[in-house]
Amino acid sequence: MGMIDTIAVETSERQIAGKTVAVSTVLRGRPPSYLRVAFSTVIGLLRGMKMTLGYFLSPEEIVTQQYPENRDTLRFPERYRGNLRFKFPNAEEHESHAALVTQVSQEAEVDAQHAAAWMHEDNGARWYHNCTGCGKCEAACPNASIKVITRHGEILDDRELDRFVWRLDSCMFCNACVQACPWDAIEMTAGFENAVYDRRLLVYNLNKMAGPRINLIQDEENPDVRKRMVERRDRYGGPVPLNGFGLPNLLPVPAPLPVDEAVDAMPGQEGSA
Amino acid sequence: MSVRVCTLDDLLHAPLEADSDLTTQEYLVNMGPQHPIAHGSLRIVLRLDGETVKHVLPVPGYVHRGVEKMCEHLTYRQIIPYTDRLDYLSAIMNNWAVARTVEAAAGIETNERIEYIRTIMSELQRLQSHALWWGVTGMDLGAYTAFLYGFREREIIGEIFEETIGARLTMNYIQPGGLMYDIRPDFVAKVKRLIPYLRGCIEQYETLLTGNAIFQERLRNIGILDGAKALALGCTGPVLRASGVPYDLRAIEGYGMYGKVNFNVVVGSVGDCWDRYYVRLEEMRESLRIIEQLIDSIPEGAFSTLHYNADVILPEGTHYGQIETARGVFGVLIVSDGKSGIPYRLHFRSPNFNNLWVVTAIAPGWRIADFISIQSSLDLVVPDIDR
Repeated sequence: MGMIDTIAVETSERQIAGKTVAVSTVLRGRPPSYLRVAFSTVIGLLRGMKMTLGYFLSPEEIVTQQYPENRDTLRFPERYRGNLRFKFPNAEEHESHAALVTQVSQEAEVDAQHAAAWMHEDNGARWYHNCTGCGKCEAACPNASIKVITRHGEILDDRELDRFVWRLDSCMFCNACVQACPWDAIEMTAGFENAVYDRRLLVYNLNKMAGPRINLIQDEENPDVRKRMVERRDRYGGPVPLNGFGLPNLLPVPAPLPVDEAVDAMPGQEGSA
Repeated sequence: MSVRVCTLDDLLHAPLEADSDLTTQEYLVNMGPQHPIAHGSLRIVLRLDGETVKHVLPVPGYVHRGVEKMCEHLTYRQIIPYTDRLDYLSAIMNNWAVARTVEAAAGIETNERIEYIRTIMSELQRLQSHALWWGVTGMDLGAYTAFLYGFREREIIGEIFEETIGARLTMNYIQPGGLMYDIRPDFVAKVKRLIPYLRGCIEQYETLLTGNAIFQERLRNIGILDGAKALALGCTGPVLRASGVPYDLRAIEGYGMYGKVNFNVVVGSVGDCWDRYYVRLEEMRESLRIIEQLIDSIPEGAFSTLHYNADVILPEGTHYGQIETARGVFGVLIVSDGKSGIPYRLHFRSPNFNNLWVVTAIAPGWRIADFISIQSSLDLVVPDIDR
């Protein structure tokens, strides 16, 4: 190999802490002669150089990925723990959910095409959710990155989600909330490019609609009642808990739309970043 | 042997003098907290006579976050993601240490599948950690190529972690009573493809760095730590084993599946930097042997025996559990009041903290360049020292 003439590994058995363990000992050879040192120095360096040059001559073996140039082809495993968002109840319901979103948004005089694009956008906000507001995720979070604010729903006369505030800035992506959720309502996604110029933008609502779970909306047949069940919520609307408001020299957060206007607003005109 | 106890104040106010006849003077030099050799934020005050190190005083604390105090307000499940942030290169093994302690104290049973997967994942992480250490050692000693080669293997193992666990560094994978996720159907095939590849990579390491005479000169017979001194300083892991003490919890306690597989505890014969280097390379080969023996026979079963939202309450008293991580013995001491689901007091016994103080014992007398070799061969992870 190199200058240390023998790197022998000797196997034996030894006693330690009352146990007999199989041991392999790294042995050292005799100090080599000067001639051997000179010879093996050159050989060792050339061998290493040959390996490095191999990559130079065959660049197809290079494994480096060129981020961000490869952003279009970047693929993430499905379990990747990135940004949190509400999850579709299951993959089969995806189609019916899309149809429902189109229908409800037409009822709410929202452009269906915008709504569909909105639904797929990866900013963590979803039109409808499977969240009951039970607060298991809030309790499971090790560093209080989740604040679930519930309200009393008039129509169903039950507790329902008002705002699901996620503090990206203190989240450590441990997946505890996803594991704790009994309703399988949230998931961690591949979103990871979170750089912003104002840290207040890292605290936001995950839900676009305050209201009951999607299945309860689906069960309701009267479109007028269905429209009254939900209420628009802005990404940055409402008081934000523990946030850095009042810090000097920060960009102003876009003012949230009043709720009444927001319900009828076109999605492209909302104040989210 | 005796270890000289010295405070930073003593060191700074001791009269500066030099041994040589020339009109030289001793210098105090700060190595760190921002220094490539620190691998984090570790300040080391060196007392130098010319280039010779006269005295070394590590000053840890620049990454202190009070993790142990924080953990006193968290449930046993919530503690686990915090252990990822101690020795982040052994995250899975740190998770396992907490899980093992809690399981033993609370009497939570696991099944064989869980133990198989835990053992395989830990060994993959050990390979990943040693691959990074190998690269970083090369970089510290001036061979930047090695750093990129080490990272190549680290990324390839990291992709397996990413598919199974969803994270590359902060795993939070092993939890009391089981695992976060089951392995994926293609996990076994991927790991089996990985084993011969990594064998080839270790051969490449030998060609690229082990065979390099300059590299050998900078490690051979530098910083000799004998076994008695290593034990007195509380060293564990490859640092202790390189000094000839075959202390490896995997072999001694046989936790997980380690009791059922054949592997050798690698020890050194001299205790110098070269032994610490080569012991780790041999350990990578042994890790591959362990994975090879286990990967074909993962039994069927549940991946978790405990519901996630179930309360875990430990009986009143003191509970201790430990695991052999890539750097040595990581211990968890939990004092429980027997009523609440959070620890009353908690302490982590981290291997890096003890391994750090080796520099005070072996570095004096060597040159600054040798000090780099010594510290690099100890494979320190600073967040684990400071916690």
